[in-house]
Amino acid sequence: MTPKLFTLLLEAALSTLGISLVSIAIGFVIAMLLSAALLSGKLIYILPARLFISFFRGVPLLVQLLLIYTLLPVIGINVPGIVAAIVGLSLCTAAYQAENLRGGFASVPPGLIEAADVAGFTGAQTFIRIRAPIALRLTFPALVNEAIMILKSSSLVSVVGIIEITKMAQDLASSTYQPIPIFASAALIYFVINSAIALLGRYAERSLKGASA
Amino acid sequence: MSVPAIAIRKLVKRFGETTVLQDIDLEIPEGKVSCLIGPSGSGKSTLLRCLAFLEEATSGMITINGEALGFFEDANGRRERLPANQIRAVRTKTGMVFQQFNLWPHMTALGNVSEALKLVRKVPKAEAEERAMVQLRKVGLENRAGHYPSQLSGGQQQRVAIARALALEPKIMLFDEPTSALDPELTGEVLNVMRDLASEGMTMVVVTHEIGFAASVGQQISFLDHGRLLFSGPPAEIFAKPRHPRLEQFLDTYLDRGASMLA
Amino acid sequence: MMFDPQVIIEKLPEIGSGLFVTLWLWIAGVLGGVVAGFIVATARRFGGKIVNAVLGTIVEVLRGTPFLIQIFLLYYGGPFVGLMLDPIPCGLIGLTVYSAAYYSEVFRAGYASVPVGHVEAAACLGMTRFQTISRIQVPEMALIVLPPAINLAIILLKESAVLSIITVPELTATVSAIGSQQYAFLEAIFILAIVYWIIVELTDRLGRVAENRLSRLRFSKA
Repeated sequence: MTPKLFTLLLEAALSTLGISLVSIAIGFVIAMLLSAALLSGKLIYILPARLFISFFRGVPLLVQLLLIYTLLPVIGINVPGIVAAIVGLSLCTAAYQAENLRGGFASVPPGLIEAADVAGFTGAQTFIRIRAPIALRLTFPALVNEAIMILKSSSLVSVVGIIEITKMAQDLASSTYQPIPIFASAALIYFVINSAIALLGRYAERSLKGASA
Repeated sequence: MSVPAIAIRKLVKRFGETTVLQDIDLEIPEGKVSCLIGPSGSGKSTLLRCLAFLEEATSGMITINGEALGFFEDANGRRERLPANQIRAVRTKTGMVFQQFNLWPHMTALGNVSEALKLVRKVPKAEAEERAMVQLRKVGLENRAGHYPSQLSGGQQQRVAIARALALEPKIMLFDEPTSALDPELTGEVLNVMRDLASEGMTMVVVTHEIGFAASVGQQISFLDHGRLLFSGPPAEIFAKPRHPRLEQFLDTYLDRGASMLA
Repeated sequence: MMFDPQVIIEKLPEIGSGLFVTLWLWIAGVLGGVVAGFIVATARRFGGKIVNAVLGTIVEVLRGTPFLIQIFLLYYGGPFVGLMLDPIPCGLIGLTVYSAAYYSEVFRAGYASVPVGHVEAAACLGMTRFQTISRIQVPEMALIVLPPAINLAIILLKESAVLSIITVPELTATVSAIGSQQYAFLEAIFILAIVYWIIVELTDRLGRVAENRLSRLRFSKA
């Protein structure tokens, strides 16, 4: 294991972080839309949302990535591989985040919603001003967890040729015939990033708790 | 002079930096009801838990019927830990009743009472259940034998807990605030069972806030305050006026628990 | 085209074999993980500070790194330490170890959910540690532990698809291969997704039935 090789892995880590962050963000937006659909009370929104969540939580991520990667060109959307990978990750995390949020939304005290209703808030306003902030605060730990999950799952985009930590590790391992130090270093980098996220998450949770008291 | 049921010598218990029990010297006589009273945080529950070996004393020695419990300490203060099976043998001389009952929720009353007989005394199932029924009858709950703890009231659960402890025929029964978690109207049924036990000559050590019970049934009253044993003796002596100011202060807060009968 | 019934019938045994490998690897991985995870949780709880710290670190590393990296380490790195593993044994070991790390956390939470007093009562009655664990703690934690245990099993089924990357002949590998051969990769992947979806949904439903049954049998804490 040389510093040069390690640096290559660290550079690939930037790619991992970038892909993960973008996917989490896009996934979050989709998850909020899904939550809104589920709470709309209208079957025409609820059913597709339920179907989406069920599918993207029921199918292995690897299969989802292969599906998106193959499907997009066929339906005429020609994007670079990395975009396909991000789409795949985003859809997957959206489903999991929506499921986490479901619990959070269910825990919003009904009294607060009634109060908003009586005060004349529309459904959308109640969602944006009351339900969402409370649900987010409640599900924060689960969201941090999901961030860690995405970071680990991003290793699968190596399968469709995207350069991130895992792909870099694979290439380096086969060219240097030193799989153990290389994969162990890759594991270390993932572990450090995930531990950092967990720590930041706990810190953020504490300051959130202080604010809501 | 017969061997005391329990002899506590120079007992000290520390939790990290905090000293919870300081130099406790006490002898608990056989066949009598000994009550530990005192304000919250005085260490009386900790002392009882040390007798049950649920807490390990930091120094000092406890002997149960002459046998050392957990640690042997000689006159020079050298301490050695006793082997596990000896500890277990000494522990079976005592039975413990908890404030929170601690019945096992996945077993019926009969199951709770007979379990230790089957596992510890290796009694076959049928006989164990027969002996368990005897204990349940004793506490007045033979017709609840098939009920689960969730189906019993607090007072009933505590009586089952007493039966469970009695099933192993201990020489000494330890009670840690047995009625503190009960609604007031349910304390009577538990105190009555305890009164019956006392009249049969069972050695009992009771940590309690029920001053009325302590004064009427107790034969040795020990008052603890801030980890120290302030005094110990028969109730007539302890509760006689003029009283130690700390005791007076303490009783003032317990008038509604029967201490008023002492006023 | 994949939707030629003749082709599907021809390839059915192959697909069946792939499904079989996925299912038995999954079940073995879950069972192995449950047993090993329980042992680890118990060792951590009763084995003293050092044991707890060492096992704890191992568990954290296994949960904090991608499954794929762990598999690569085992498969490509194994031979360098004398461990020449074929894909299937490698996949089985990798999945079981990964599974055990997660199950150990489930059981740790399970142990913590049993009230201390219930264990103290057993100790005062003279029960040994083994008796207390088997007759008191395990039955009491069973209901609490079941939902996360089932969820974890479902997660592991999905992770098993990753084993296709090291050429384990499980469902994903088999169907993708057929798809490529038949120039109908997309259709094959689509059907693959549906198959996993069905198995996951079924397991989820069955799991909920089991939870209901169990909660009726055991009475909740008073």
